[in-house]
Amino acid sequence: MNVAHVDELDRIEMDDGFVWRPIRRRFGIRAFGVNAYTASEAGGQIVESHTENQLDHEEIYLVLRGRARFRIGEDEHELGQGQLVFVRDPSLRRGAVAVDADTVVLALGGKPGQAFEVSAWEAMFAAVPYARAEQWPEAIRIHEEALAEQPDHPALLYNLACMEARGGRYLDALLHLQRAVELEPKWAEYAATDSDFAAIHDEPGFPTA
Amino acid sequence: MTPGYQILSLDELEPAPYHAREGEKLLAVERALDYRATGVNGWLGDAGEILVPEHEEEDGDEELYVVVRGRATFTVDGADVAAPAGTLVFVLPGERRTAVSEEPGTIVLAIGSTPGKPHEPAGWTHWVVADALRREGRVEDGREAIAEMLEAHGGAWHAPYNAACYEALAGDADRAFEHLGRAVRMSGDEARRHAADDPDLQPLRGDPRWQDVVG
Repeated sequence: MNVAHVDELDRIEMDDGFVWRPIRRRFGIRAFGVNAYTASEAGGQIVESHTENQLDHEEIYLVLRGRARFRIGEDEHELGQGQLVFVRDPSLRRGAVAVDADTVVLALGGKPGQAFEVSAWEAMFAAVPYARAEQWPEAIRIHEEALAEQPDHPALLYNLACMEARGGRYLDALLHLQRAVELEPKWAEYAATDSDFAAIHDEPGFPTA
Repeated sequence: MTPGYQILSLDELEPAPYHAREGEKLLAVERALDYRATGVNGWLGDAGEILVPEHEEEDGDEELYVVVRGRATFTVDGADVAAPAGTLVFVLPGERRTAVSEEPGTIVLAIGSTPGKPHEPAGWTHWVVADALRREGRVEDGREAIAEMLEAHGGAWHAPYNAACYEALAGDADRAFEHLGRAVRMSGDEARRHAADDPDLQPLRGDPRWQDVVG
């Protein structure tokens, strides 16, 4: 048994203003995706505006505390404690802002008919505070752990290369960037203008779009 | 239902008492939403009532319990945990767990699946709802819930098996044997093993067809 209150979960503030409160990572859950979200202030973003086109997940958003105003496609719904929205259609854009400052939204997601796989974005989100603090070894470690489970995930490889380049591990950065581009050529376009790669941009073998 | 998404308030769900016991009132979220990615249901209880039936997850499900409203006390492998609203309790499959409500109207959400396996909704929540309706005397409403279960989960032997339990308890032996026969054909010995000591099927045991179907 492992127990925590939502207020005891890590707080990872994202650039879009919402605060990720990791549950699955905290408990090491392997069977389903579940996280909580809070906002920095009333009126702030609490669920980022996004679709699930990439992962094809069905998602449930349950208001655990406070009130949140959801935008689902073109519709708006204000939901309070104990109310949820189930977004069945992965292509529907969804997001929410907190009406009350202490609002908590629980998000549950997965793809019907498939065993749950940990989403790569979790490692990227978890590494954000370390990247902000330029603690590159820790940010790199989080990506390496995720890659141990999904070794050919292009976005993870690309992000790892970013962290390695910023952390001075230039050869590792180049090799991981090359592998990311080999798996997904579009990353070469991003790399061309990504300031994270400033130190290796002119190295032989740097991928070109 | 609006295409593509659905809004639901847990307060709108009609609580279904589980197996006629005190408390243990199921809020059949998964059934209401037809959510298939993982198992998700709620439990509602007043002060002193059992919220979560005592059990282990024999099929290997990891479970996360989320106290949505009120306050509960969880007991996991003999250890008590006070759980006000907002508490998350993660329990591994072999751990024996139960929870009691400490305040009126406490709601706990239970989320569960087996690591490495796609979630297969077995339809047990349909049966619980149907059985609660039957006990209220709403037999035809119960049959509607059973029909929903067979439509949604008819590929799994549990669906006709639970339908047989429902019809046995409702006193319709013909329908019960029809469903039970189908469950046995689908699963073979597994349904027979369950049927051998299932108290729900007691009304069928004196029937000459029992030997043919269950053996």
